[in-house]
Amino acid sequence: MTKILVANRGEIACRILRTLRDMGISSVAVHSEADKDSPHVDEADEAVQVEGNDPAKSYLNIQGLLEAAGRTGATAIHPGYGFLSTNARFATACERAKLTFIGPTAAAMTTLGDKRSARSTAERCGIPVIPGARECDSPEAAQAIADRVGYPILVKAAGGGGGRGLRQVDEAAGLPEAFAAARREAESSFRDGRMLVEKFIHPARHIEIQILGDGKKAVAFGERECSLQRRFQKIIEESPSPAVSGSLRAALSDAAERLAVAAGYSNAGTVEFLLGPDGAWYFLEVNARLQVEHPITEARFGIDLVRAQVELALGGSLPAPAEPRGHAIEARINAEDPARDFLPMTGRVAALRWPHRPDLRVDAGLREGQEILPWFDPLLGKIIAWGPDREWARRRLLGGLRDLVLAGVPTNQRFLIDTLESDFFVQGETFTTTLESQSWTPPEPSKAMLVAAATAAAPPAPKSKSASPWRTRGSWRMGS
Amino acid sequence: MANARLVENGIVKRVVRLKCRGRVHTVEVDGTEAVPRRAAVVPVPGGVWVSLDGHCEFFEPVLGSVPLPSRAADPEVRAPMTGRIVSIRVKPGDAVREGDVLVILEAMKMEYRLAAPAAGKVATVRVAERDRVEIGAVLVTMAPP
Repeated sequence: MTKILVANRGEIACRILRTLRDMGISSVAVHSEADKDSPHVDEADEAVQVEGNDPAKSYLNIQGLLEAAGRTGATAIHPGYGFLSTNARFATACERAKLTFIGPTAAAMTTLGDKRSARSTAERCGIPVIPGARECDSPEAAQAIADRVGYPILVKAAGGGGGRGLRQVDEAAGLPEAFAAARREAESSFRDGRMLVEKFIHPARHIEIQILGDGKKAVAFGERECSLQRRFQKIIEESPSPAVSGSLRAALSDAAERLAVAAGYSNAGTVEFLLGPDGAWYFLEVNARLQVEHPITEARFGIDLVRAQVELALGGSLPAPAEPRGHAIEARINAEDPARDFLPMTGRVAALRWPHRPDLRVDAGLREGQEILPWFDPLLGKIIAWGPDREWARRRLLGGLRDLVLAGVPTNQRFLIDTLESDFFVQGETFTTTLESQSWTPPEPSKAMLVAAATAAAPPAPKSKSASPWRTRGSWRMGS
Repeated sequence: MANARLVENGIVKRVVRLKCRGRVHTVEVDGTEAVPRRAAVVPVPGGVWVSLDGHCEFFEPVLGSVPLPSRAADPEVRAPMTGRIVSIRVKPGDAVREGDVLVILEAMKMEYRLAAPAAGKVATVRVAERDRVEIGAVLVTMAPP
């Protein structure tokens, strides 16, 4: 009997648990003390509290997670994304504990998860890589590489990701300080101070290929464009990319498949590329796990990637990709203030109403009354719109974002709407630096919003049959 | 209380000051305004969240002095509530800046500081300290600077 422990929280834990229910597989959730009432706990058949020094550490507690699996009789672990999903020690520990790790083998994870080793594997496969990109231990070594490839350059953590331990350097004078800062960040975030230096391709698009592998073969499921990022974190993703032609797609897919086969890659993974302004493309890195933005691929290919992951991990065969349909766009709803450098925000969800309409998917793990805690990443949920073409998907996503009510904690909702309505997005002119080069100020509240707020803040005299918020609201309940 | 009431052409208006993202907005409501039914209005301790068409903001009622809305055609400062005049801070001929307190009114055991709606000169003072005034009564009239 298969029983799967989901070693994660939030929207991705909820999303994985739903597929397990669809498959008729028993599930176990884990949670920290602070998360004991979180939605993912309710979605599972069983839940186990795992200790940690702070609420996030519970999900990084390898021993605690293995004990939770042992105690509940779980036979496999799905790590989701983030936390331990790309930790080879965790994959190894699962193998030793006779638990199926739903992801690549520790060996493949090491080969492709480490940027330096992934790059040399790509070079061996004849896949173009970004000029420079050699490990260097000192600012002087970094300087030598920069002099060869030319500025601007990027200094980045060899064992990192998610934008931490990453600095752009525009001229030689700024290198020593940027190198030291990036290395400090890499050491504290990843306990790994190895650094890479490479040429900064500008303006570039971030294009990634979804793959599934079985250790011997690999198949590609099209591309996702994830160029729109703030602080090196993706925020709006789409598939297909407006910049990828059929021949480019075939070349990227072929490169991703060859790389996966060379590393003996099994399960789901993503091969990331940079597309330069001249049409040249370069291998960037591999994310040896399920990605946040996987639903846009699911929407086009009619596949459940979590189900495919589970089946592959249990010895199933590779699914064949169907002919992709239409266009899909995802927007990430984050608890953050785009007007203040995307500062993460906390608070209590006071009202929540997700949009409903055909071909609009919501992935979230959130409920009214829930406290948004500062220890976790600010992702509250994702809205994914599908349409027969890009403009349909864009309009549907905008409709969904306008319908969404999420009050009690500041979010990037209005920023996402304005971004999707911007000329650059409409024209498909999206680059990794687009969002940071645009300044955004929140619009003034409309007259209707002010009147609604004033009416609620100063209710009219009891006799007046007027615009009380209790009458102007719909029938849904707010608060918990 | 964050709101004051005034009577204009027989309609009771409330003047509410709301802080949103550090900016103070002055809103007049008389209960006849239409708010779209799809707007979500969520009162929480300390204020209210309003979400409409994907724009969600937090509004905090501003306590303290209640300036009446500036209106060039309306150089009168009226009593927002029925109450008693506690203190008069100006006399005819005084030059005042926008926001300067003119009169302090006590109503419902709370003090309301009625401020100049715009910079100008005090034309007349129609009340005296300890007077009882009805809602909407003219307290001070203003003249341009």
